[in-house]
Amino acid sequence: MEDLGQVHQLLVHVSGYTLTFNLDVIFYSWIVMGLLLLFGFFTTRKKGMVPHTVQVVGELFVSNLYDLTEDVVGPDLAKTYAPLAIALFLFLLLCNWIGIFPPMEEPTKDLNTTLSMGFLGFVLSHYVGIRSKGIKEYLKGYFEPFFIMMPLNLIGELAKVVSISFRLFGNIMGGSIIIMVVSYLCFSLVLPPFLNAFFGLFVGAIQAFVFTMLTLVYISIQVK
Amino acid sequence: MDIETCVKVASFLGAGAAMGFGAIGSAVCEGYTAAAANTAISRNPNATGDILTSMLVGQAVTESASIFSLVIAMILLFTPFSSQTLITAAVVLSAGICMGTGALGSGMGSGVAAAEACHGIARQPGASDSIRMNMLVGTAVSQTPAIFALVTSLILLLLDYSSHAPWPTIGAILGAGLASGLGAIGSGVGDGLVASAASRGVARQPEAAGTITKMMLVGQAVTETTAIYGLLISFILMFGNFPATDQIAPGVALFSAGLCMGIGALGPGIGEGLTARNAVDWMSRNSKAIPTITRVMLVGQAVSESTGIYSLVISLILIFVV
Repeated sequence: MEDLGQVHQLLVHVSGYTLTFNLDVIFYSWIVMGLLLLFGFFTTRKKGMVPHTVQVVGELFVSNLYDLTEDVVGPDLAKTYAPLAIALFLFLLLCNWIGIFPPMEEPTKDLNTTLSMGFLGFVLSHYVGIRSKGIKEYLKGYFEPFFIMMPLNLIGELAKVVSISFRLFGNIMGGSIIIMVVSYLCFSLVLPPFLNAFFGLFVGAIQAFVFTMLTLVYISIQVK
Repeated sequence: MDIETCVKVASFLGAGAAMGFGAIGSAVCEGYTAAAANTAISRNPNATGDILTSMLVGQAVTESASIFSLVIAMILLFTPFSSQTLITAAVVLSAGICMGTGALGSGMGSGVAAAEACHGIARQPGASDSIRMNMLVGTAVSQTPAIFALVTSLILLLLDYSSHAPWPTIGAILGAGLASGLGAIGSGVGDGLVASAASRGVARQPEAAGTITKMMLVGQAVTETTAIYGLLISFILMFGNFPATDQIAPGVALFSAGLCMGIGALGPGIGEGLTARNAVDWMSRNSKAIPTITRVMLVGQAVSESTGIYSLVISLILIFVV
């Protein structure tokens, strides 16, 4: 129980500032990325009209998530944002699932990962908003319904980043803490596998989906 | 009263609050689920097996909020705390209150969703699988606010406060517990309302199950936002290192920051849940209007959330400015 909250960190001192690297998180994120690249390589290798097994799985992900993107942002923009949605979902899904193999830890258990993913969606949605509406219309949106509401609208926008990233972080962190505490209390006998299935596989999949969906919704709000 | 007794008293109080409050929500709504199952079986006796399974599965998920409380209460009762200071006393009390109140809303919400699933299966026995799947997803997401409260109370228990000055820290710790705990109530109930509408919608229009579940998840995600603000304020209060002081005001300000966010999150959570409930409900009746309904739902939720944002602003001012 004591090792909770201890993180392997690499501290680099650069001219008075300290850069902190969470080594575990970086390592497992790279493992996730490597696995995804491998998955992509095997799905597209020897592809044909009659798909082989791995290709079917890949096509399943791509076609379902493409349809989802089309539902949310509309058919015109789906082609632009579907790759983002698919990549985001697969990355987060694998990040949430990797923790069910004990020595590995979920990169999404670290707020830095989820916050940077949330920030990605935030920057992208505002860029899209400015590009589709023009800078004048975009800025006007902050002064509605009244001029005085500007600071609150601004905080509301920033709060979106906080809520989307804390939601994923809280769920994954909560799940892993519960699994750890219960394993500690009942000596890893019966309950932990069920808890792993529930919090790792089930909640992990739902939260990866919710995150992707919300990123797309934020984009579609800015466009309309 | 010496300090050991003080910590012991606080941990007993905390354990009592955790399990006492934590039992309310789940118990009420497990009963509600069972009542709904009875009605559903009376209406459609042929689907008894399916309804009974759904009732039990739904009740099991509903109960998990109370089980979180039980875990915290056990930890509070049986862990020997190494540091015996006033801060430890505040920590154990705060962790208990946080988990107890945090389990209230999620317990209630999940139960309402499970009840609606039982009604749905009686109405549309052919779609029982998709109704049950939707219920499982919906109730699992409704547990999120309780999980946030659990995270806060466990982090409180495991953080090392030995280098902190007692006074403002005690206020901050008590505030952190209240922000996550009270903040989880509204969102828990609201999430459950959304999930209940989705269960009803899948029963009414089984072929739209995918769309309804998707919309339910978006609605629930936005409903949870205020609980996340509560979590955020708790994190700031827990991890902040506040300078020592003899004055009463700074500690009280930190405490009220938590209180403000906790109570302020109550209304928006329920309100956004109501918005999303009706939106999801009508999506199953009028599938052509889904894009419009979604947009109106998101705008409405954003407006109803604004009071939660006011609370967030005041809490942040209380922490950083006052």
